[in-house]
Amino acid sequence: MSRTDASGPAPATTSAEAPAAPASPRARTGWTIAGAVVVLGLAALVQLLTDTVPEATAGTWFGDVAQSIEYPIYAIALGFLGNAVLSLCGVRDRMNAAFRTELFIKIGLVLLGATINFAIFVKAFGPAVMQAICLIAIVFAFTWWFAGVLGLDDRLRALLASALSICGVSAAVAAAGAVRAKKEQLAYTATLVIVFAVPSIFLLPWLASLMGLPPAVTGAWIGGNIDTTAAVTAAGAVAGEQPLQIASIVKVTQNALLGFVAVLLTLFFALRVDRVAAAAGDGAAAGDGAGTASASGHKPRAWAMVWDRFPKFVLGFLLASIVATVLGVTVDPAVLEPRLDAAKELQVWALSLAFVSIGLEFTVSSVREAGWKPILVFAAATLVNLVAGLGLAVLLFSSFQF
Amino acid sequence: MDDDSSPDDYGKFSLNEDWTATIIGLLLLGACLLGLISADLIP
Repeated sequence: MSRTDASGPAPATTSAEAPAAPASPRARTGWTIAGAVVVLGLAALVQLLTDTVPEATAGTWFGDVAQSIEYPIYAIALGFLGNAVLSLCGVRDRMNAAFRTELFIKIGLVLLGATINFAIFVKAFGPAVMQAICLIAIVFAFTWWFAGVLGLDDRLRALLASALSICGVSAAVAAAGAVRAKKEQLAYTATLVIVFAVPSIFLLPWLASLMGLPPAVTGAWIGGNIDTTAAVTAAGAVAGEQPLQIASIVKVTQNALLGFVAVLLTLFFALRVDRVAAAAGDGAAAGDGAGTASASGHKPRAWAMVWDRFPKFVLGFLLASIVATVLGVTVDPAVLEPRLDAAKELQVWALSLAFVSIGLEFTVSSVREAGWKPILVFAAATLVNLVAGLGLAVLLFSSFQF
Repeated sequence: MDDDSSPDDYGKFSLNEDWTATIIGLLLLGACLLGLISADLIP
């Protein structure tokens, strides 16, 4: 996951934006600092609203609703509001460098690791790997096939299939590197990921509650379905503490498999797609990078690529859990618990910054440019993902005990 | 391949950000566990 994960596609200039003019490094730094102040200010407002609104509205018609509103909802709503205001003022794109969803979410997930007992990891790891492998295979195969039926370019098919089946934009970025896709295709896929992920943050916890799913199944369903790690964390936080733990374990397991899929894609394109296209003399279909994606060039690098694409924050997530679990049995709870509470407070802050950034960086402009076919692919594959993910979550996590 | 359409620059940056987030997260956790940051200090 990368800066691109945070920003989605390259920032698009809205109609209200000032014409893009080359800015000096000092001006760019100034706008980035201003953007950071906006993100921090909105995150502080999230904390204020979460703390004060339920109390202030107690006894009124809004009181019951306010009790059930979790901080991710305030954060995303304020992010969208900030997005609208900054866009109207024509300054949002200049501040874009400060909207670092993925950086904040990874910091938050490392801190979240400290709240998860390592025994839960051990128990959830087997089902999580099973679910991830089955879902990646089902969703990737369906997306690749359906996008082919609609006649989409092979490279865009690979990007869409990776994004939908693994972990959203970061998977699309890895796949783009593996199959030598064009930046426009990456930007377009990234936007679709965000457009579909944002409603899921609210929809999936609501549906899970409607169906009466247990916390572990809810978490596994959320973690297996929503494409971006940030949105998974937001939906998990909306659903509750235990669903969040399982959702994050399931999602980081999918993230960890990204490198293997990138290697398989590289080999598939080098050995089959590019070779067939080159044999047919189709230079455009083979892509300008076909020659560099030769099988001989990439085979020895397979393990290096697996490591390259491995999301390193997963190591921090695991290490935090191990450290907190070991301290849990060796340190006096009266000493340890206030310190873990402080880490939890920082985790909520990091996640609030990430959720505010989701709203701030949201843009739909490149979707409008790409036509309806990829949107149809995304919608159909999301449905397949929802149904297959629910079946697998029920099958693998129904008997899970915290 | 035309450099302008290469997605590689995204990938290169992602590694830096991944490690940065991991290190910041672990440092913050370490500071909390050592008692350098207490819940009272966090707004």
